[in-house]
Amino acid sequence: MIASSQIKNKNIQMEIEIISFGQIAEFIEHQKIDISGITDTETFKQYIENQFPALKGMKYKLALNKNIVQENTAIKNPATIAIMPPFSGG
Amino acid sequence: MGEKKVKNIFVNGAITPAFIADSIAKHSSKTAIGGHSIFMGQVRKDEIAGKFVAAIEYTAYEELALEKMHQIREAIFEKYPLNCMHIYHSLGTVKTGEICLFVFTSSAHRKPAIEACSEVVDRLKAELPIWGKEIFEDETHQWKENT
Repeated sequence: MIASSQIKNKNIQMEIEIISFGQIAEFIEHQKIDISGITDTETFKQYIENQFPALKGMKYKLALNKNIVQENTAIKNPATIAIMPPFSGG
Repeated sequence: MGEKKVKNIFVNGAITPAFIADSIAKHSSKTAIGGHSIFMGQVRKDEIAGKFVAAIEYTAYEELALEKMHQIREAIFEKYPLNCMHIYHSLGTVKTGEICLFVFTSSAHRKPAIEACSEVVDRLKAELPIWGKEIFEDETHQWKENT
């Protein structure tokens, strides 16, 4: 076992529910992933952009457990992350 | 979530003129009110590359939108001396010419009602996770963008 908690975190298996909206829902389906190596919203962004390259050119925001992400935020297991294109209500 | 009351703003389909009339009528007993301000959003028949918009289909991240609307509502009540404020937004399909948004504010004198109404509409468009899909007459679509 490695003592450093940071390295430990990287090995933690996370259960993340991904939901998406608007235009993004056309190519990212509602899904649950079991994954390790995702510890915060920045690493999640890298992961999801690699999985869905169409996202790279788009403007979008994340909501982690129903809170809009303003800055890199730690993800705790289990988590729900929403991927949201620019809003267009009204 | 504690004891705070998060109101629902969403209605299925178009907001009908009868619903709006009824909402106005309900205020006749609130005699401290001296001015109402109303904003109604209507689905516009935009023309894009020779095709006309037939309807907008609205979806939302409902829980987050209602939570955000609750915060906006509290901030607006803090800022303006309002007697009441009602907000309704459509979900699902709303055809061109139909009403998709209804904001109704009331105060003793007109200015707070007018300013609050305008600010609520601005904030709601910018901050609520709601999306409009413009459906054309030939059933193709594009995603609406707020400017």
